[in-house]
Amino acid sequence: MDAPLTSEQQALVDSPTAKFFLRGRAGAGKTTVGVRRALRLLTSSLPAESILILTPQRSLQAPYEDAILQSGYSGGQVTFATVGGLARRMCDLFWPLAAERAGFKSPDQPPVFLTLETAQYYMAHLVRPKLDEGYFASVTIDRNRLYSQIIDNLNKAALIGFDHREIAERLAASENGDPEQHRIHADAQACANLFREYCLEHNLLDYSLQFEIFTNILWDDPLVRDYLTQTHRHLIYDNVEEDPPRAHDILREWIPNLDSALLIFDEGGGFRRFLSADPVTGEALGQICEEEARLDNSFVMSEEVARLETQLTEAINPALTPFPSPEVRERGAEGGVRAYDFLLTRFYPELLDEIAKEIQRLVSEENISPEEIVILAPYLSDSLRFSLMHRLEQAEIPVRSHRPSRSLRDEPASHALLTLASLAHPGWHIHPARFDVAYAFLFSLGTDLVRAQLLSEIVYRQKDMRLSPFEEIQPDMQERVTYALGERYASLRQWLELYRESEPLPLDHFLRKIFGEILSQPGFGFHQNLDAVRVAASLIESVEKFRNSIEQTFDNSIFDHRNSNIESSNIAALGKEYLTMLQDGVIAASYLEAWNPQQDNAVLVAPAHSFLMMNRPATIQFWLDVGSSGWHDRLAQPLTHPYVLSREWNPSREWTDADEVQSAKEALARLVSGLLYRCRSRVYLGLSELGESGFEQRGDLLRAWQKVSNPEIT
Amino acid sequence: MQPFTPRPSQEKILRYTGGRLGIAAVPGAGKTHILSALAAQIIHSGVLQNEQEVLIVTLVNSAVDNFETRIKRFFDNPLQALYKYRVRTLHALAHEIVREKPSRVGLEEKFSIVDDREANSIRHESAMAFLSANPDFFDAYLDPQMDASKRDWARKKHLPDLLDSFANVFIRSAKDRRLTPESLRARLDSSPAPLPLVELGWSIYADYQRALAYRGAVDFDDLIRLALMLLENDAEFLERLQYRYPYILEDEAQDSSRTQERILSLLSGGPPSSLRDAPPIFTENGGSQRGVGNWVRVGDPNQAIFETFTTASPELLRAFIRENPHVDMPESGRSQPSVIALANQLIAWVMNAHPVPEVRDALQPPYIQPVPAGDPQPNPPEDAAAIKFIATKFSPEDEVEAVVKSIAKWLPDNMDKTVAVLTPRNNRGVDVTNALRAKGIEFIEFLNSTTDTRAAAGSLSYLLAYLSEPSSANKLAKAYQVYRRDIFGTKSKADSSNASDDGTAGRAVAEQVHAMLRKVGEVESFVSPREDSDWLSTLQESEAEPVINELNKFRVHIRRWLDAVTLPVDQLVLTLAQDVFTDAVDLALAHKLALVMRKAADDHAGWRLPELTAELAVIAKNERRFIGFSADDSGFNPEAHKGKVVVTTMHKAKGLEWDRVYLMSANNYDFPSGQGYDQYISEKWFLRNKMNLEAEALAQLTALESNGEFDWYEEGAATSKSRMDYVRERLRLLYVGITRAKRDLIVTWNSGRQGDATPNLAVEALRGWWEK
Repeated sequence: MDAPLTSEQQALVDSPTAKFFLRGRAGAGKTTVGVRRALRLLTSSLPAESILILTPQRSLQAPYEDAILQSGYSGGQVTFATVGGLARRMCDLFWPLAAERAGFKSPDQPPVFLTLETAQYYMAHLVRPKLDEGYFASVTIDRNRLYSQIIDNLNKAALIGFDHREIAERLAASENGDPEQHRIHADAQACANLFREYCLEHNLLDYSLQFEIFTNILWDDPLVRDYLTQTHRHLIYDNVEEDPPRAHDILREWIPNLDSALLIFDEGGGFRRFLSADPVTGEALGQICEEEARLDNSFVMSEEVARLETQLTEAINPALTPFPSPEVRERGAEGGVRAYDFLLTRFYPELLDEIAKEIQRLVSEENISPEEIVILAPYLSDSLRFSLMHRLEQAEIPVRSHRPSRSLRDEPASHALLTLASLAHPGWHIHPARFDVAYAFLFSLGTDLVRAQLLSEIVYRQKDMRLSPFEEIQPDMQERVTYALGERYASLRQWLELYRESEPLPLDHFLRKIFGEILSQPGFGFHQNLDAVRVAASLIESVEKFRNSIEQTFDNSIFDHRNSNIESSNIAALGKEYLTMLQDGVIAASYLEAWNPQQDNAVLVAPAHSFLMMNRPATIQFWLDVGSSGWHDRLAQPLTHPYVLSREWNPSREWTDADEVQSAKEALARLVSGLLYRCRSRVYLGLSELGESGFEQRGDLLRAWQKVSNPEIT
Repeated sequence: MQPFTPRPSQEKILRYTGGRLGIAAVPGAGKTHILSALAAQIIHSGVLQNEQEVLIVTLVNSAVDNFETRIKRFFDNPLQALYKYRVRTLHALAHEIVREKPSRVGLEEKFSIVDDREANSIRHESAMAFLSANPDFFDAYLDPQMDASKRDWARKKHLPDLLDSFANVFIRSAKDRRLTPESLRARLDSSPAPLPLVELGWSIYADYQRALAYRGAVDFDDLIRLALMLLENDAEFLERLQYRYPYILEDEAQDSSRTQERILSLLSGGPPSSLRDAPPIFTENGGSQRGVGNWVRVGDPNQAIFETFTTASPELLRAFIRENPHVDMPESGRSQPSVIALANQLIAWVMNAHPVPEVRDALQPPYIQPVPAGDPQPNPPEDAAAIKFIATKFSPEDEVEAVVKSIAKWLPDNMDKTVAVLTPRNNRGVDVTNALRAKGIEFIEFLNSTTDTRAAAGSLSYLLAYLSEPSSANKLAKAYQVYRRDIFGTKSKADSSNASDDGTAGRAVAEQVHAMLRKVGEVESFVSPREDSDWLSTLQESEAEPVINELNKFRVHIRRWLDAVTLPVDQLVLTLAQDVFTDAVDLALAHKLALVMRKAADDHAGWRLPELTAELAVIAKNERRFIGFSADDSGFNPEAHKGKVVVTTMHKAKGLEWDRVYLMSANNYDFPSGQGYDQYISEKWFLRNKMNLEAEALAQLTALESNGEFDWYEEGAATSKSRMDYVRERLRLLYVGITRAKRDLIVTWNSGRQGDATPNLAVEALRGWWEK
């Protein structure tokens, strides 16, 4: 934090103006101003609690948290929040104020906050019977994504600020009367309404309800408003452009009541549009600030990168009004070096080889630190991520990936645990395949696959889930399996037998118990296997959350809708429900792979959008799949629409192909510009003739590059 | 740049500058070449604006690569043509179109495409579900003359198969006609008369589509249907694509269905119907037609050998040629003059003398002409003796024996020549390969194509098979063979006799290791031994060092693979591939297979390694088709198999040529001629009036679609009409067979399984003409 500020920045930090709006592009030093301002407030004898640092997503708070930590400040706690997080906290705190007005059936009962998982779970239960009635017949969509798009629409209504009962109407109005399409929207509307009613009836608060209650009810209540404005007197609000209109609405009313406010606005941003981010309403907040300031320079881009940025965005969207050219950082040494290079191959894996080789060269010959290298793609399939990371690890280049989640369904450790759970609960009538049992042995008994398989072949009978004792095995087989393994197996078996005889526990309790009493013991698979332990912990947490939310509604029996074999007296059976939902993918049960702290100096592999939202630059960027249309086309979602469901959209208009083309161009220009503003010196374009799936790809980004690199030919 | 001296007809084509143009080409006329030249000419002319491309549409993946290579040859600097043209199969084109706006047609971002096999299995389930819910449905269709036991047998043994194929035909046809289950239902509900076969088809169709939707998937036919729907419903989008593709060149246009024709017509800016009859403007100097898009269609209606359930018909191309400016491409340098004369005589006989006047339109001019003197690809010299019609009445076995005997005699003196045996059906080809094998004659079975995919998928499936059952010594040994596939050779060298000493030594070690692994007994004592019982250390004394080293090396790998087994299947596949493959194509295919495996695992939550291994084995057997990767389908080159016998079907032989060709089974069973004594494969003996159920269902569908009261359904009419279609198609198939021969042509027939089949009429007529 010792980097000297420019006089311009310093002036802003020191500015006596209480409320100002700071704009600029990425790399101009805006967040640095924000951080310094925060530190200054902290050291100016204000109570820390009065400082609120607001960002649209948690990861954007990192620079502030780090700086405060490093400053050694030891006073009170600064409040870090997102508007969504505030909403939830207020709903929790002021539930009695909101419950009745929001229309909950049992305002005297406590609220149940739904996670995305549990919301999806309820949605699935409500929608499934509708599917059998013929809802959504003409739409081809994976069921789980169907549920999530309905949830998404509810969220959009809340974030933009319109009645959730208008979703279908808005979407249909933008389409030229294809009746089949209208029917789909009507079906989705009916399901959204049903879900909302169900929530109100059972005190369930999904994200959309939390947000609506906060913005529509609680914020208008003097008690809540006083509480908030009195607690927080100083605001630093970074990345204003990535928040939705309703958040901006609240801030518009709030800011005049604050003692000081710094709003930071990235003019090139607006990357979270699919989450209803709205730079227009964000920028309008500038009007209520006392002063506006702009930072025009770039501490990141070399001159060549800056020129490339201009050329490329011009090639993508000639109609674009260019931003004023930034003052670039001085780095004479690289003058004249082309800011981009191509890596060309016929097949995809060859390209990955080339990238690994080039990175190795950059690190060893050009002394570029791995953390200054990022590999970006529009999408990151698991196969791609795995292949890339594998290659880099082989080249002994530290590497990390930002892809945040992996489903618990795919984790061998959680798989093993759930197999054991099935074995322990014969009443579930889930009879694991022999193969699964072998894997459960492999993982839990700390052995090798051959012996795990041999053992399961001999001792396990799928029909009645019987596990026979080790002593009954032929002596020569006992020897093959080894006595040491036999001993561990015997303990596990005995434990399971005992458990089967006792009253079953809720699944999370069961997992804790078997983990603590058996699996984490010396010799067993989870002993000192930190990765597996972390997975186990995530699984237990997920099960627990699921159980907590379901137990609340248990008496009201959501299960009436379907042939569930759950009896309300038997809470343990919820475990089976969890397992089934996990299998079906209704519960994604993904967990955040913690950022590996010791892997800080590592090459980053991430989807391009995730990288943008990390708000950090890199010296070298590799762009993969340059021909892919994923760089510009919005995600195709038949049930929702990020542009039509936005505040700027004129509801009497039709969404046309020209709109589609234009929005794709704008999005691409914004993305490319955003990436280059975060690039110090070079972009490598990875281009294979046949893409990952074997198709030739020719998207707009590729064409723009072609124009830039080959002006004489096009 | 490649020098190119066009033939007279080609010259005429190269004067094209715009508008519509129909080209009827004869076999071997060089259609690919002229279309490539035309594409290059358009690019050279500089008419293409920014972001405009010449679109070349072709039938199969292998043709895509072929075009790419040829077009590039017309440029000094390939960059000049970069992104100025695009070669796509119609499916790939439709996929691209739908990919641009999936949600407009009710698809989500990650919609997937089920391949044929998955589609078959879903459809099979739907059909069987219908059968078990409606066990008596077919009672009304079974032959009432049958006795009860025979009836029972037909129900159990034949109905499921019949219904399977019925469902396939019905669904594909409904999609080709762009009828969704919903729209079909609506029509059925308002239909004045009951149409039980459409009801049956609808029921299975609706179930099948529901199953697809549930998976978020579409099939290949949906792609075409949805692409067309998009183009019709989104005028601005269509306009954008029309701008992108100002010229469309279509190859193999005789196989286009109505839907395909419609897609290209729209893309090429088809004129509003009011202008349809405006006189075409096409001058010798070029000059484009106004109001008509630039669309060149090349094909040979005489080679339209298609599946009967689509609306594809050579008539579509013929009509296009009639109604638009057109050029014939009659010159062909492929065959010697006698073969040409024979093919031309077949056209003439069909047109003038076929006993069934209805089918006389099956073959039509242009007649084939030899190329002019000085052509770079001259016709082989005249040799009348090289054409033989064997009149002998063979039994099926004797026919195979006679052909094999003839090959055995001919081949040793002609090792530098190419030769093929063409049969009407796959299983007949299998008879031939069996006989060749028995005689020790080398052959290439092109019945199911040998491809890279099969090899790569096969190797991976052996590795997965071991990992599914890690205690199996046999599978371990098999995995070793994959590990050493350079030696055990799925990738065998073309000339193995040149293997170096080093190679043979390596081979000896590898074979010994393989044999030892098979007998290892307790696999764990090798792969993860206890300290006191390491199989490998007990061998130190007795075995040679290279063997020990080899086993050690392999153990390192096998352990790594065993560790990888808990990874998600896609990552497992990639890990294995990185260890055993070196070729870029193999690695690329492995990457694709990893995605496919992952999808399979996601779709079938209960699947574990054994099921996934089985799935990969199916891919290895080439029972699945992918979209993407032209390398997995990289064309068949007869020239690569000189001195060996290629055995394939006449259908598969399309587009290929050999010095010597045997045409087998030219009898009235495989080639009926519309005579009273002929039999038809699609007419089932156990149905009343030997009904062709599929044809009848399609006729009901047509009746349902039509508004005209004269098109009403009448049972039996479709069965007879379908016979005529079949007779026509068989005549064209014969024509295709004959025109595969460059020099020698031998035609044989057999008397069939019952011994009562007769020679095909056309073949008889040709033989009579020839012998004169």
